[in-house]
Amino acid sequence: MSNTSSNTTGDESLITTDVETGSNGRTASSERTAVAARDLNVFYGDEQAIDDVSIEIPEKRVTALIGPSGCGKSTFLRCINRMNDMIEVCRVEGDVEFGGKNVYDPDVDPVALRRKIGMVFQKPNPFPKSIRDNVAYGLKIQGFDGDVDERVEESLKGAALWDEVKDQLDSSGLDLSGGQQQRLCIARAIAPDPEVILMDEPTSALDPVAASKIEDLIDDLAEEYTVIIVTHNMQQAARISDRTAVFLTGGRLVEYDDTAKIFEDPEEQRVEDYITGKFG
Amino acid sequence: MATDDSNAAGFGEVSRVRGIAFEYLSLGASVAGLVALGVLLVYVAIDAFDLANASPEWLLTYFLTLVVPFLLFCLYSAGDPAVTRRVAGVLGGGLVVVAAAFAAIEAFVVTIPRLSWQLAYLFVVVAPTTAYLAYVGSRGRVGAVGFGLLGRLVGGVAIGLAVGTLFLVFDELVWFLAYTLGVLPAAALYAYGSRRAANRAVTAAIPVGLVGLVAAVFLRGVVGTYPSDLIIYLWTLAVPIAAVGAFLVDARGSRVGAAVVGGVPLALATAGGFLAGSVGLPGPTTLIVIALTGVPTAVYVHRVIDGGDGVVGLGLPLLIGGGVLVGALVVEAWGVPAPDPWLDPGYVTEAPSRTAAEAGLYPAIVGSVIIIALVAVLSFVLGVGTSVFLEEYTAGSGVVGSLTRLLQINIANLAAIPSVVYGLLGLGLFANLLGFGYGTAVTASLTLSLLILPITIISAQEAIRSVPDDLRRGSDAMGATRWQTTKNVVLPEAFPGILTGTILALGRAIGETAPLIMIGAATTVFSAPTSLFSRFSAMPMQIYAWAGFPQADFRYGVVAAGVITLLIILVGMNGTAILLRNRAERGN
Repeated sequence: MSNTSSNTTGDESLITTDVETGSNGRTASSERTAVAARDLNVFYGDEQAIDDVSIEIPEKRVTALIGPSGCGKSTFLRCINRMNDMIEVCRVEGDVEFGGKNVYDPDVDPVALRRKIGMVFQKPNPFPKSIRDNVAYGLKIQGFDGDVDERVEESLKGAALWDEVKDQLDSSGLDLSGGQQQRLCIARAIAPDPEVILMDEPTSALDPVAASKIEDLIDDLAEEYTVIIVTHNMQQAARISDRTAVFLTGGRLVEYDDTAKIFEDPEEQRVEDYITGKFG
Repeated sequence: MATDDSNAAGFGEVSRVRGIAFEYLSLGASVAGLVALGVLLVYVAIDAFDLANASPEWLLTYFLTLVVPFLLFCLYSAGDPAVTRRVAGVLGGGLVVVAAAFAAIEAFVVTIPRLSWQLAYLFVVVAPTTAYLAYVGSRGRVGAVGFGLLGRLVGGVAIGLAVGTLFLVFDELVWFLAYTLGVLPAAALYAYGSRRAANRAVTAAIPVGLVGLVAAVFLRGVVGTYPSDLIIYLWTLAVPIAAVGAFLVDARGSRVGAAVVGGVPLALATAGGFLAGSVGLPGPTTLIVIALTGVPTAVYVHRVIDGGDGVVGLGLPLLIGGGVLVGALVVEAWGVPAPDPWLDPGYVTEAPSRTAAEAGLYPAIVGSVIIIALVAVLSFVLGVGTSVFLEEYTAGSGVVGSLTRLLQINIANLAAIPSVVYGLLGLGLFANLLGFGYGTAVTASLTLSLLILPITIISAQEAIRSVPDDLRRGSDAMGATRWQTTKNVVLPEAFPGILTGTILALGRAIGETAPLIMIGAATTVFSAPTSLFSRFSAMPMQIYAWAGFPQADFRYGVVAAGVITLLIILVGMNGTAILLRNRAERGN
């Protein structure tokens, strides 16, 4: 954490992307914590998916979770909004704090929790409804009492989709292209105004152009929301995130630091091997 | 040794004899089955409509006034010279082939009973060609408009008649109160809520409606005076239908059009309802039929004229009606012998009789319609409810999980139990234990619902299971409760599949006889049921009874007419459900 300044001048970046553009001038230190995990262990049956992870994720920043397949990063993401509850064999030990409260406390209603945390999945999954109904879905189920149309417009603008769909709000969300569908899902996630947005490899099913649009969008979202993104794409993590957490096999959090630090001068040799492509 | 050959001559050959034999055997089997069924239906139709006694002149007249104009309409709509040439070739060539084959069979093999070569030509060549052309024509804009209009006319009449029939057994006074106190306020609240985006109003709609319904049942005995039946139907059915029609047209931005589309059918229905009594028709049913036919037709006509595309197609009903009229006039003037069909208006509006000529199916039709309506509602609600519970709510492991699996296996087994056994169950449970009475409509409906419930549940489960998990997770992640996810995402997506299963199951229920016999349903009743607890008969029961009569007229003509009626009602019912399903699929 302390030695970043001494290293930046002499060292080459481990990957060629310009890390600074992604950070958007946001500094990753000294802000409030949005989500924190303490001694988190997750098991699927007998198999341990997350091994003693402790992490503090800052508010209104983009935090990337990277690591090889099966390292537990998606599992970690799903712990935050308790989507793991849906998996019967899944068992969680330890704390995940959100808004100063352990979300695994017995008095926490997971449904109420999820209303404060938006989620975007790997494969775009718009509902087979009109674009308007897709975006208004969260408002509808939460009994939103304000102007729905206005909120739909705001959310679509927030997801950089408004100009493309404003004349076809009543056509099906499935008629859109893959990239548009994913932005529709982002609009759907931000419509109820959550505090945190979880993204599970949101661009891995998209072509590079669509993916880069989503990346730009994520950058903008961090102005208002805490974004936690799982990605397999190292360049993407470097471009868009402020903080990066590297998970390695066995569900261990190996290193967690400012993105620039992780990509330019990681502490651990294994992390360096991973992000330079020597394994994983 | 095969390897030796293949080494010598390239790759050699792999035998496909078994595959080819299987292919042609299965093709032959299906064709044989279809041909047998086709021949049966042809003879049933000939008997029902007395076509055996139709003179060639009579057939020619209607061929020229009805079939040819219809074919020309379809050809015009298709607008494809290749299709025209093909159809002309098939009709001309078919005439020669059928006539020659018919003559050859008659001369050398066996005389064909009750069939002339003209009729054979009509059934073998003209009917399939017409069906094919109707299909091709309906893909053109003109044809689509024509068939759309025709469908709305026929569908409106059918639904109107069905609704009118249901009111024979359901108390229209309760409906009047329920509509006024429950349905109307709830619908108004819902409409207001959705338009103003006021969720509270939408949420309030359901409790308000329920309270109104309960109040209606309670007040039924308390309130002493009611408006006349006609006023009730006008207020509870015709006016709302007209209002919906006017609203739809108004949404397209036409005030005048909305007034016409809502007003004209309403005025016609009112006039028809009040005047029907003077010509011996039931006023309320006439009113419902005119309203249910007129409003959708008017909305459709307005849309077509508004779009300005394929307006000519609107002439199709006129073409067909005119064809029938001209044909009748020509036959009358010419004085050629005409067939005397068993299936005539009297057959479907009158009660069974000792004489074949006066026999009618009316009470059995009413019985069947009522039973099927109840079965459809019961099995749909119970079937969807159970399958949602099994698929969305139960746990996969633990005690509950094991119980669920046990339930699953048993439901699958229930589907294989013979219907007679269900009849016995209905007899014991509904007729005896619960005291719903032997052979009453409600006992029959409950028994048949039980009978088809396993099929409905299994197909609905299949449909629910095929909804992608992505959608469920997407909804869950938005903070939807299980119920919200099921209601908003899973069920709409599974609806077409659920409907398909229900259609198949209902098709089975409408034809069932064995369980009805077991619960003591009458084979013949002489008046239509007037309440759910009246004795009733159903179409298959009545047809079965007639088939045992000694007179040939009953065994051939009357039974055939009954079979055709049953098939028409079944096809109409399935057609409606399929249209609904296709609409739901398009909505996605």
